Amino acid sequence: MFHHSFWYTSKEGEEFENQDGIEVGVFPKHNDDMRLEVAWTVLPFILIIYLTYISWAPLDAVWTSADGGNHGYECGLSESSNNQIDLDTGIITSECYHILEITGKQWVWSFNCNPNEDSWTGDTVPDRGFELGTNLCDVGTIAIEGYGMQPLLSLKAGETYLAVMQSEDVTHSPWVQILGVKEDVLPSHQTTLWLPMHDVSESMILCTEYCGDAHSLMSAGLSVHN
Amino acid sequence: MNIGKIHARSIVVMSILFMALAFSPLVSSFPTGISGVKDSGCNCHGATTSDIVVPTIIGLPSIYNYSESYEVTVAFTGGPSTIGNINLGGFHLWASEGELSTLDATVQQFNPSEVGHTEVGNDQTTWTLMWTAPASDKNIEFILHTNSVNGNAGGGAGSSGDEWNRISVKVSAPIEVLEQANPYVVLSTLIVISAILLAITVTYIFYRTNPDSFNWETFEPWIVEWLTSTDHKKVGTLYFLAGMFFLGIGGIMALMIRIQLSVPGNDFLTQDQYNQFFTLHGTTMIFLAAMPLINGFANWMVPLQIGAPDLALPRINAMSFWLQPVGALLIFTGVFSGTGADTGWTGYAPYIVSETAHVGTTMWVAGQLMLVASSTLTGVNFLTTIAVMRAPGMGWMQMPLFTWSILVANLMLFLSIPAFGVGLVQVYLDRVIGTAFYDASAGGDPLLWSHLFWYFGHPEVYVVIVPAFGVISEVIATSARRSVFGYRSMVYAMAGIGVVSFIVYGHHMFTSGMSPTLRFVTMLTTMLVAVPTGIKIFNWLKTMHRGSLVYRTHTLWALGFLITFTLGGISGMFFPSMAMDLHFHESYFVVAHFHYVLVGGTVFGFFSAIYYWFPKMTGKMLDERLGVLHFLTAFISYNGVFWPMHRLGVWGMARRHHTYFISTEEAMGSLPIEAAGWNMFISVSAFLFFFSNFILIANMIKSVIRGQKAPADPWGGWSFEWMTSSPPPTPSFGHFHDGVWSDLPTLKDANEDHIANEPSAVVKWFQSLMVLDDENEEASH
Repeated sequence: MFHHSFWYTSKEGEEFENQDGIEVGVFPKHNDDMRLEVAWTVLPFILIIYLTYISWAPLDAVWTSADGGNHGYECGLSESSNNQIDLDTGIITSECYHILEITGKQWVWSFNCNPNEDSWTGDTVPDRGFELGTNLCDVGTIAIEGYGMQPLLSLKAGETYLAVMQSEDVTHSPWVQILGVKEDVLPSHQTTLWLPMHDVSESMILCTEYCGDAHSLMSAGLSVHN
Repeated sequence: MNIGKIHARSIVVMSILFMALAFSPLVSSFPTGISGVKDSGCNCHGATTSDIVVPTIIGLPSIYNYSESYEVTVAFTGGPSTIGNINLGGFHLWASEGELSTLDATVQQFNPSEVGHTEVGNDQTTWTLMWTAPASDKNIEFILHTNSVNGNAGGGAGSSGDEWNRISVKVSAPIEVLEQANPYVVLSTLIVISAILLAITVTYIFYRTNPDSFNWETFEPWIVEWLTSTDHKKVGTLYFLAGMFFLGIGGIMALMIRIQLSVPGNDFLTQDQYNQFFTLHGTTMIFLAAMPLINGFANWMVPLQIGAPDLALPRINAMSFWLQPVGALLIFTGVFSGTGADTGWTGYAPYIVSETAHVGTTMWVAGQLMLVASSTLTGVNFLTTIAVMRAPGMGWMQMPLFTWSILVANLMLFLSIPAFGVGLVQVYLDRVIGTAFYDASAGGDPLLWSHLFWYFGHPEVYVVIVPAFGVISEVIATSARRSVFGYRSMVYAMAGIGVVSFIVYGHHMFTSGMSPTLRFVTMLTTMLVAVPTGIKIFNWLKTMHRGSLVYRTHTLWALGFLITFTLGGISGMFFPSMAMDLHFHESYFVVAHFHYVLVGGTVFGFFSAIYYWFPKMTGKMLDERLGVLHFLTAFISYNGVFWPMHRLGVWGMARRHHTYFISTEEAMGSLPIEAAGWNMFISVSAFLFFFSNFILIANMIKSVIRGQKAPADPWGGWSFEWMTSSPPPTPSFGHFHDGVWSDLPTLKDANEDHIANEPSAVVKWFQSLMVLDDENEEASH
């Protein structure tokens, strides 16, 4: 574009040359080249198909099935996910996963490591018959600079979690910044979010679906430990 | 009664109604309602203040110490209160900060910032209480009301004859705090100032057009003609003025948002105010600035380009315009009462129907409904005009590209906006009469709103960008002194964007829990948008190839458009790729992307259109030197505003958050320390960008007053608008005589023998069908 805008500048100043004999009231001569036009229709199209293709794998990984997908089935008592990261694609696979519950309401996140079947209105969480140990999943509070006291979710590195989520009032969306994922939390139905925790980290969960007054302060801490 | 008087009266009635609409909410609803005695006074003891009562307040320091408690004595003298009355008087004290508490039974605490006398304390003229100073630096105001009573309340005469008065005392902080402006007051003041400036400019232009007859007798018919005109050019100018005015208002709101975000943890705007400001910034910019600007140029140029005398339905056209200011007033009612819509321009359910959303949201919905009506009527009008009023010789494939873009845009709008209208009616009913379309607990589905909104919302963003494509096609071709490369592929690309726009809206809802299969489909369709857009960009470049580019201001803006729009397009390609969208959704990266396409695309396109068509519209040339200055300052500062936002988004700055915090340690806190510097940089650039656009305004005013006279075809374009004089006559083409239009222009075609004019196989087949039908019909007679 830069090349064209300088190379093809009018050399004659105000006395501009009229390349295609443009005249008022006359539809100008066609200036086209079918081969060129088809070329820059087809080439981007192929590029798009390629881009879609390479975006497909992460799509499958992010919404893998909870029944024998990348993360297997729910862990039994004292089973561990032992999740592995494929360094080429960044995709994490695990042997099994743990279920925890995230609830959004104006303007606080709450976490529940042992979701109770009765707390759900529509979909139910299968009762696994035992409780997760506090080293696997724990809920506390933490003071975050600027945000004040906020809930803290402590998880274990190397373990994979499936968050089942619902809202008590309006739409919210937890942004798990360390994983770069988010999913809306709705009052009408349950949504899920995979949290494959591979590395030790300390980060924040923000709310990224506008939910009213204190939307910007609705946050939580996320600590992943060994 | 003559028609002029009727017009004049309807104008007066209309203006009174407008003023009533604007001011009545100001009178009846103070922010959070009229909050008792502090604002309204002791009106149970008389209607107004009285000078004979002298309230005093003793014990307050002039400068307080942090968290220290002060014993405060309030008292009064004067008035009808005399010893021996059944009651002597009462008081009410309000403090803006700190905490008021009681010392004895004569005083009661209503809340930490309000105290008053009790039943026991009714027979006194002095009271003591406690005030605890806050732990931080604040400017503190106390408002004391005292009433002096004559004690006849027990005798059945009520409070008649009582008198009251008020004083206000200020206490300063240990470290001086600068008085902070109320953002509402700033916004309202700036809106009123803008309106006054607009009125002065209009009056001044009227004065300059004919300095000798500057009086009401000539002004009245002039202004009445403007306000009641159905001429497409006058309505177009009105649209244009409204669009520019609201572009300014939306800009002011953007600046206030940027002031708030310039430093971390700022509290210039409260959360509540910030939420309203970004809601109204979005609504204003899309519906009240971009759409009217587009309609302004469409009104002006479409009839001129197709050689029509006016639009097909001129009265409907005027009505479409006048629905907009009414809608705007409804949308803004909330701001002036302090409880404007706080839902974001997307107004997601169920928040929009929940009790936590502001009352002003109802008015916002009502105003949006007006705009829906306006856009629907505009759609009908332009589709009809373009379909039936093209000049002889102008087939569909000979229409200028700007007209094509308006056709495509209006078709999209016309097919998509009913969904939005339906959603708005549902929300309105939910909010007003308690239906449960979006109430999840009653079986409503909040996701329905997202579907209805984005079914409209995504075509809508193309509605505002496609006309800019049309402008750029015209400008680049004319400036390069070439006919546009690949006219037909340009048309098909625009039509393609129009079709694809309806099947991509799911990408706004990637995080809403939709099915992974649909996510994949939407990912593919969204990526497909890049194909027709790419065709257009390549075609523009090829148009310049072997042309002889004449550098004018509109050429510069068109080239600027190519840069920014391509960058915006590339950042747009990140979103359909799902894994990236999960991080970027609702982050500042999104903000950067859509400002790159909406400002760098639509607004730059229309700046180009202003410089391109202004001579045609006013008959005066714009100043090229000021134009180039405007381009340079605006283009540089614009990139300064929006480019760093990409980085902020990647770092994790969320959109629609009223503030952010930076963290020095790696561990906790959402943004690195550099984020503060970049935010300040963005805010400063935003101010520069805002003020650089005043160069354009100054240029326009200067040119209208003493610009060079413009020739009919200053740039050497081919379409019909360059055939008429500058400014064009009314009606724009032809003469109306005995119910028939005559002297309409005829389009000639420079490529009679070009392959494009040969009918394709499909067309031949179709034509053969038509002929057959005719023959059959004739045979049957």
